[in-house]
Amino acid sequence: MVAPALLHASLWIGLPVVASVVLAFTKYDVLTAPQFVGLDNFRDMLDDAVFRKSIVNTVVYTFFTVPFGMALGLLMALALHTGLKARGIFRTAIFLPQVTATVAIALVWLWIYNPRNGLLNALLAFLGIDGPAWLSSTTWAMPSVILVGIWQGIGMKMLIYLAALQSLPKELYEAASVDGASKVRQFFSITLPLLKPATFFVLITSMISAFQSFDQIYILTDGGPANSTTMMTYEIYKSAFREFRVGYACAQSLVLFVLLMGFTLVNRRIMGGTRGHS
Amino acid sequence: MELNRRSLLAAIGAGAAAAALGGCGTGTSTAGSADGPAEGEITLLTPIYEGADGKTLLEQEILGGFRKKHPKVKVNVDYTTYAQLNEKITTGLAGGLLPDVLMMGVGWIPPFAAKKAIAELPEKLASAHDYEKRVLEPSRYDGRLYALPVVLDTRIVVYRKDHFAAAGIRKTPANWAELRAVAKQLTKDGRLGFDPFSIDLRQCWETFLFANGGRLFSADGKKVLFNNARGVEALQFFKDLVKDGSSDYAKKTDLGAPSNIQTGKASMMMSTSALWNQLKDTNPELIEGDKVGAFILANRKPAMLQGGTLVSQSASSKHPAAARALVEHLATPESILGAAKQRGSVPGLKDLNDTTYVKENKFVDLSLQSMGDACSEGGTAAWMEIREKIKPTLEPAIVGGQSAKDAIAELGRLAQAAIGRM
Repeated sequence: MVAPALLHASLWIGLPVVASVVLAFTKYDVLTAPQFVGLDNFRDMLDDAVFRKSIVNTVVYTFFTVPFGMALGLLMALALHTGLKARGIFRTAIFLPQVTATVAIALVWLWIYNPRNGLLNALLAFLGIDGPAWLSSTTWAMPSVILVGIWQGIGMKMLIYLAALQSLPKELYEAASVDGASKVRQFFSITLPLLKPATFFVLITSMISAFQSFDQIYILTDGGPANSTTMMTYEIYKSAFREFRVGYACAQSLVLFVLLMGFTLVNRRIMGGTRGHS
Repeated sequence: MELNRRSLLAAIGAGAAAAALGGCGTGTSTAGSADGPAEGEITLLTPIYEGADGKTLLEQEILGGFRKKHPKVKVNVDYTTYAQLNEKITTGLAGGLLPDVLMMGVGWIPPFAAKKAIAELPEKLASAHDYEKRVLEPSRYDGRLYALPVVLDTRIVVYRKDHFAAAGIRKTPANWAELRAVAKQLTKDGRLGFDPFSIDLRQCWETFLFANGGRLFSADGKKVLFNNARGVEALQFFKDLVKDGSSDYAKKTDLGAPSNIQTGKASMMMSTSALWNQLKDTNPELIEGDKVGAFILANRKPAMLQGGTLVSQSASSKHPAAARALVEHLATPESILGAAKQRGSVPGLKDLNDTTYVKENKFVDLSLQSMGDACSEGGTAAWMEIREKIKPTLEPAIVGGQSAKDAIAELGRLAQAAIGRM
């Protein structure tokens, strides 16, 4: 039973990973055969101010989208866990962005952010505020992209938290109520600790997802203005598919992989693993 | 041999390395002979012929004529946009499925010809039609012909004659000092005097560079030449316009949206000749009332960026005769005129100068009269990498605090490094 899975993993995961690692040490432009260049790609990366900027942008994007998205996801899960009327509709509405193509979502947001006839500036104009050019401003472009990222990711986080909330033992809450613990106290002393495995899972998957954000950048800002929204995955894509520097893109991918692995291990250490309520 | 985890991993590693280092150069095969009968199934990759009208024009009119001449050739069309064209080519090359006939932009020929991804064309095709003098230059690499022009897309300055008249301005600016002064004079009530940013920043800066007497690269494409005072001044001019308040990077219009000239939110803007078609469709009153005009940007010299779409033949086509026949057909005056009309582009053939289309489209007419001032981007085998760096490297000087000198120096460094990697 293991052999087919092993074969699949080797062919479709192992082989590309090994090929990427090998190509990271080559000069390869797709047009001619790769040439071994040792650490040249990594040296170029140290000298690449835009790639350094993309790492900073990726960290900033992750720093804002993950915690805010998690907090909102948890809040919505708590709201939907109660006896809210028509909660099925709310669950569907909140989860909808998750199952809609990012390209379609980005196109809608493109219209919302349009400085001349977009929804956002029309609302601000109604309040007497002259809205900025959201996606063309170095000040506002990143917050605009972050907002889309948070909005899009809430559904999945909410779903995971909701599933976890529904599996929590009711008797603990009954005992806490008998002891006179308030709802707030119950949340901090029972709910949050018991949600630790779900929180760890949501944190890791959200971080990986944030580090791999691409579609919204591609559609909304093209990494601009002045590289203010470019991300690591977008730079990797540009190197490989627009500049024909596939070897360099593989080296950049390797850095992204190492960063993600590092963050995951650090998180695991901080959160003390995934053991908790099951 | 016993199959264990270590041997399996070793085999995967060896296989991947072999694949990576050995078998990926799919685009390096030499051109097959185009002699012999044109037959077989071929693919055309095109970033033009957009929308339903474009599809009808290509598949019914242009390819309809081709089918009559070459009934044994079946053409499959792969439509894309310029934004996605290089991804299509990259993935085609990587997967060994490069289309037989490729349409690409000005500047793209040297990189693909240098790597032998596209086939050399016989020189006799250069004299098959009466081309405007410098139209064929972007089709050549190392003196040899690799493509034929289909349509040209020039960059000119379009202006509102009614705004000029209301401000008492009687002639169009002859240099940047005049342009800046006129732009300042026309800027009022939320209207921009000059909008250079609604076209691609790369192409816009290049036009200013050329008008300032600058050049992108040396003739052999191995040395960067734009990182001198000419290039810095071109970028500094944008900063000066923004400082004056007569230009605003945030107020540029998106592709396809009504332009600032149409809406009256700018008095002058950099544009392509395609704007004429847009005006005809949505603001015919501006044309009928003779409210729009155009001129060529000038400072040390007049200059007009000449972009466009060229057609080339893949070096790895399995049906080179069929591919060659299609390349020739797409470059005939009939095909060119159809494509130019549909896009509002400039046909680069003297045979078409007297057509109703050229005479009616004032921007096209101006472009054809100014072909002597036309300059093209590219000119180096490293262009595909460099072209991607220009906009993001220059933008910080316009929207941020970076100096024009530093931005140009940085771009020069990146471009020279890219050339060095060739």
